[in-house]
Order: sequence, then structure tokens, then C-alpha cells
Amino acid sequence: MAQPSLSGATDFEGFTRRGRRSGVRNTILILPSVICSGVVAESIADAVPEAVCVPHDHGCGQIGADKDQTRRTLLNVAENPNVAGVVVVGLGCETLDSEELAADLDLPVRQTSIQSAGGTDAAIDAGVEAVEELASAARPDRRKRITVSDLTVGVVVSDLDESTVTTAAPAVGRLARTITDVGGRVVVGGVESLVPHRAHATELTADDETAETLHRALTDHGDVVPPTPIRTAAANQPVEAIAEFWGGLPIRDVLAYGERATHQRGIGIVTTEGRFEETATALAAAGAQLVVHVTADGIPTGHPVVPVLKLTGDHETATALPDDIDVDASLGDERVLTERVLETAEGIQTATEHHGLTTFAISRSGPSL
Amino acid sequence: MTDSVTMEFTGYRRQDGRIGVRNHVAVIPVSVTASAVAKQLAAEGAAWVRSTPHQMPLHPPEAARDRIRTVLEGIGKNPNVAAALFVALGNETIDAQRLADDVAKTGRHVETLSIRDIGGTRDALERGRQKIERLGKSANRARREAADASELVVAMECGGSDATSGFAANPAVGNACDRIVEAGGTGVISETPEFIGAEHILAERCVDDDVRERLLDYVERREQMAALMDVDFRGAQPSPGNQRGGLTTLEEKSLGAIAKGGTTPLRDVVPYGHQLPVGGGFAVMDSPGYDVESVSGKVAGGAQIVVFTTGRGSTTGNPIAPVIKVTGNSNTYERMHENMDIDASRVLRGESVETVGEALFERIGATADGELTAAERHRMEEFAINDIPSNEIKQLGEPT
Amino acid sequence: MKGETYDGAAIVLTDDDTVATALDDLRTGRTFTIDDRIVELVEDVEFGHKFALEAIDSGERVTKYGEVIGEATQPIEPGEWVHTHNLRSLRAQPDAEGES
Repeated sequence: MAQPSLSGATDFEGFTRRGRRSGVRNTILILPSVICSGVVAESIADAVPEAVCVPHDHGCGQIGADKDQTRRTLLNVAENPNVAGVVVVGLGCETLDSEELAADLDLPVRQTSIQSAGGTDAAIDAGVEAVEELASAARPDRRKRITVSDLTVGVVVSDLDESTVTTAAPAVGRLARTITDVGGRVVVGGVESLVPHRAHATELTADDETAETLHRALTDHGDVVPPTPIRTAAANQPVEAIAEFWGGLPIRDVLAYGERATHQRGIGIVTTEGRFEETATALAAAGAQLVVHVTADGIPTGHPVVPVLKLTGDHETATALPDDIDVDASLGDERVLTERVLETAEGIQTATEHHGLTTFAISRSGPSL
Repeated sequence: MTDSVTMEFTGYRRQDGRIGVRNHVAVIPVSVTASAVAKQLAAEGAAWVRSTPHQMPLHPPEAARDRIRTVLEGIGKNPNVAAALFVALGNETIDAQRLADDVAKTGRHVETLSIRDIGGTRDALERGRQKIERLGKSANRARREAADASELVVAMECGGSDATSGFAANPAVGNACDRIVEAGGTGVISETPEFIGAEHILAERCVDDDVRERLLDYVERREQMAALMDVDFRGAQPSPGNQRGGLTTLEEKSLGAIAKGGTTPLRDVVPYGHQLPVGGGFAVMDSPGYDVESVSGKVAGGAQIVVFTTGRGSTTGNPIAPVIKVTGNSNTYERMHENMDIDASRVLRGESVETVGEALFERIGATADGELTAAERHRMEEFAINDIPSNEIKQLGEPT
Repeated sequence: MKGETYDGAAIVLTDDDTVATALDDLRTGRTFTIDDRIVELVEDVEFGHKFALEAIDSGERVTKYGEVIGEATQPIEPGEWVHTHNLRSLRAQPDAEGES
């Protein structure tokens, strides 16, 4: 079957960034460096409409690789192309120091902390002043025509139900081929479905080095993480059915959780269990400007930094949850998902952006101290 | 013990006999997929609607599942909770209806809300508002009754510690803890890693071998968790910052932390999130040092009030239990007085630990009687569950 | 824990303690009367740091909070600053043979 073209539209209107890829949203991010500054950060974000907040449960009681993972995730999320500026909010005694985080960010940034400001009210005041400054600077930004090759689409697949494999996968596969054909990237979050198929690492990847990295990552992951329902279901699927979620294309980049994607075009994969909220964060950190979420169960939440398009192959789910699902793949029109992706890129709100309920979560890789 | 002050207050008598010091409707998500709906319902609700959003997944691995369920159930049963709403996507491994039924056995009005079954987020919010209104009516019918300190389980915590924590704030809290115990109540500390270096001393205070063995097992496991992450806990403590502040040895630092537990015999050691004994004297709950998870665990265990010492100025609270902030650092008390409750730096100016301990004991009573803490006034309501990550399960096995 | 303070400048947490903790930056020569003893500082002691209340032999255990916090690595005079240069931990390694 001939690949559906993007109807001549190989570009869209987005926000250009200096030194970063273009964004599909233009937000000011209020970034708490620790759980303790989350409430203050959310109050600051309430001050201007362009602000979003990413409150999380971490930044304290973490050690070693687990702490490093949270740090790199926060930094890479803050530099996501959708973010125009950041206000980092700390407490003052946490493991991930807010001043140091701010210093490591390469975009317009301000910083405050509860202890240095002299309390929560004072920190809110300082933060509101900062976000208003950043928002004023970002407000005149206008969308410019940029090419789809600047687009990175994230993909999360939350189950391997019949409808997901038979109906949703082909739509996502088509999207992946279309996007990468014109030079864009697709990053898939979650490797549970590949663990039973790690012997196929060479066929799945673009080169030997990536094959080795993937094989090792799948082995390590499989050794430590107990099997989820996806892994169990994937063992009964041929590897081609699994790879269809990225169009059967060769994987070029294998990312640890929270890492930024560095491949220029094509497919990347993030080594993570695949819980939706945590994986959307990993994809935002990887550089995805938007995320396609395949869900037969209708997990409804969005993400503060990236618009999420909910796709289901289950017609019952789509009709039962009309305000939470964007694309019903069972209706058969193969172009709909790609069109919706481009519309989203240009500013049309997704279902999750309409209801506005988001969750920001980061994966842990070790116990709390 | 010198002149003990009696502590009387008016609380909310629950059908299971416990007394609450607050009268909340708790909106509890069963998994992370329901956290946003739960949080929104509480945000738009009256002040007595409180949510406990968290990051636990739809399908936690078996080894982690029991603890998550125990915590969720414990929150629903906390004496400060009048009524509860469990919010789920609908296909969680942890069954929301069974959870609700177990909490309802205490006589509470409990309802469930399944986002999937209702028809998505908008309908879930609408239905959730209606349920909360009903639950609120039940909460309003709670009986107010006179009670005393013997019915309190008071959790002691320290976070954002500095040099003053060990010789001012924590000893003062320990003094208050002794008073709670003497009055027949329960005073509980957690933060197991902070015992490392002084666990033998705590062990000597245990009332019997069973308690002692459980305590030492928990300390050993927490130390192994650090080793799992390639951190030599003993070698790294006290930190350079601690040493500049005056702490010389690991045991000195740990003794400073343990001081908030007072001087009475250690009668019980419970797992994270498990029910704490009422009228149980001095007890320990196993938990990480990470404050928010530690406090959340003790509240799930039934603590109605939290006393939290902080040298540097932690501002966290809890959605279900009032958190009283105590600092021994006069600079912190002055600069962050809006977020602090008790000035233990008075010890630095000549008042005895006993005097400050007595003042704290009185404040605990006032808090029980309805006086809002700084964290409550600022709606600081942090909550997190101490998860068991897969590498811990793999290397150390399921916790006992 | 009694936590007696002296002139608002030093605190002794229990009667068994052999060190006091400075509640202020204290200068050489400052004296305290603690339980009929007069202790004179023989050097400056910073806020939060400890000074000895009596003579402590090298190898002798040091008590604070009524418990052993370590052992002296050299002889310590009354009024001398006590810290990492003359006090070492006994618990920095996990128990090998149940040493208490």
C-alpha cells in the first residue's frame, strides 16, 4: 500500500528556539526541584495562563543512580522544545539543589527557594515576579513555519489487548513511517514488549552497536523488573507485531530513562517499564514535543509539558469515554492519526488539554534513603 | 518526670472508638491514573476535602502490592478521616471496592468512583462532586467528645536538620514524647537509617527480644538498601556539612535524631504503614529517612498529629494530619516564622529542654483541640508512599 | 533528657555527659560552673561544637546524651575543644562480633 503523504504539508507552524528544536507549545515551566516546593511551584504557576507546573514526589531521600536519574530527567524536561522559560523552585536543603539545577539550564531561567526567600509566601511572591517576567518575554513569540523534520513524536503503548495489536498498531505504524519519511523522529517509551524478543535485537536495530546496546538493556531490564501484563502478552506475539508500533523501522537510539534523544531522524526507544505517566515524562525529556498514547483502557491523564493524543483501537472505550479519547482507530480512516498529530503541533488542543488534568511522574531506580 | 501537664481536648469520636483531631473527607486514588481526578476534586472542594495523590501504578508487582494497599487502607481509617472516597481508573490490580469495604467495616461512610465506568474525566468529576457532598454530610454528623492524650498517637519526625536539631529541637520533642507516653498515649519515631550507629542503644531500650530483633532487622535492611546503591552509609556520615556544624561521629548524629523519641522503653516496632498501637508508649515504625514518605507512613498507621523538627526550615505538611513545625535555629524561626510553630531555639537562650518540651506538649493539645498549624494555614499537604523498587526486591527480597 | 543550659551559652544534655555543647561562639577563658565544677575553656569553641567537662584519657569513651559517642584518640583536658582531631567513632563499621 502506498504511504499516505502528509497532503503536501511537510511543515507546520511552531515556536523556534535558539539552540534547540522547535516547540509546538510555548509554555513557562515552573520546576520544583523537590517534593517540598511543589505546592509553592503550583501557586506560582497559577499566576499566568502560559505557565505549567511539574510537581513530583522526588528530590529528597534519593541516592546514587536513582538521584542522577531524577536530576537528568528534570533538566531534560526543562529544556523540552515546548518550554520557553523556566522558574526553578527549591526548598533549600534538598539533595537536588535548585540553584545548581538552574545554572545547568540553557534557556531563559529564574530561580528561587523557600528557605532563601524566607518562607512559602515569600517564595511565591518571588516566583510570581519571575514567571511574569518570563511570560512577558515569551508572549510576543509567534509561530513560524518549520518542517516536520523538526518534530519528535513520542509513543506510549499501555497494553497489548486485541484491539491495540490489531487496530491501533497499524495506525501508529503508519504515523511512524510518515513522520520519519520526511525526516522526523519517533521515540517509543517502554521495552516490556521487547523483553521476550531480545534475541531479535540485530533485526530490530539499524547497526551492530545499537543492537548490542538494545540487547544488553533488554537483558538488564528483564533481570530486574518483574514481568508486567505487557511482557506476558508480548511473548505470544510475533516480533513483527511488536515492531509495528514504530512502523517496523530500524531502531537507531536506545535511551536510558530521562536521557535526551541524539539521533537525527528515525526511531528511538526508551528503556523503561512503560507506566504511562512516568513514560510520558521520559519522552518529554527525550525531546518529544507531543505524545501519542495507545490505551485500550482509556487512561485519561495528560502531561503538563507535552500535549497527549489518546488513541484507542477499542470502539467501546472510544464511545464510553468520548471526552478523553482523541482518535478511534477502529473507525478505519488511516490518515486521521497523522492529521491529528499535525493539528496538535499547530496548536489545536487535545482532549487532555481540554480537560486539563495532568500528572507528572518520574521513574525511580532505587529505594528511598 | 516533673509536674506533668494534663492534656484535654475535644475531638471527633469515630465508630471504631478512635478519636480524630480533624474531620476530613479523604479522596484517595487507588493508582496514579486516578491521582489527577482526586487532586482536582480536593482542590475545588471545601477545606475539609483532602486528597492523597501518589505515583503507585495500575499493576504494582506482587512484592510491592501489599504495602501500597496497607497504606491506602490505613489512610482511609486514620482517625482524622470522617469519610472517604476511593477513586480508581477501574482496572487496578488493587480492587477499589474491596478496599472501600474494608475501610467501611470501621463504620465510616465510604464510596468508590471508577473513572472508566462513569465515562471519563468530566463525568468522574461531576459524580465525584456529588459523592463528596454526600460524604460531607456524613462527616458533619460526627460526634464531638472530650478526650485526652491517652488517645493520641503522635508521630515525631525530623527533616532539614542542622546542628541545632540534635541539642535543642529533638531533645525538646523527646521531652514532649515522654509526656505523651506518661499520659498514656503513643509517641512514634521512624526514619530507620537515622538509627544507624546508635541502633544498639535503641535496642537496649526494647522491652523484649522480639521487638529488639525486629528493630535490628529493619536497621540492617535499610543499611543494605544504601549499599545496593553503592553508598557506604556509615562511611559517609556525618557529612562534611554536619562536621562543620559540630557533629563528630555517626553515633552522635544518630543519638541526636533518636533524642526526639524521649527516654521511655521501646514497646513496639511496626512495618511501614502498618497500624500503630493506641496507648502503646514509645514505638518505632520502619521507614526511610525521606520525610514525606516517612510522615505519610505514620499517618497511614493512625497518627493523628505530627511533630516535625527542622533546623533549616522544612515547610511540608500532610493532607490528613496537622504537622507542628519545631525549629531550634533562631534564624530559621525568625525568617520563616510564618511556616514555623514552636521556637525551640529558646533552649539556646537559656531555657531548659524541659520547659520547651512542656510548651510543645501544650501545643500538641491545642492542635488536637482544633488550633491550626502553620502548615495547615498554608495548605501544605505533601504525600508520598514508600515504594519497593524492583532492584530492592531482586537483591534483598520482599520485605517481611 | 534534662538538657540543662548554662548562661545560655552551653548545654549539657544529661548528668552523665562528659562533654557540653556550645550554644554560641565561645572564646578561650570563658568559664562555666557545672555541678560544683568550674570548667574554663582553654581554646575557642564554635557554636554547635563540644568541649570536655573533665579530663579524658586517650582511649577513654566520651559520653553525650547519656551514651557513648566515641573514644578519645589523645588525652583531653577539661575545657578543650572535642572534635574529629581527638574523638573517633566506634560505630563506623557494622558490628563484626557484636561489639557494644
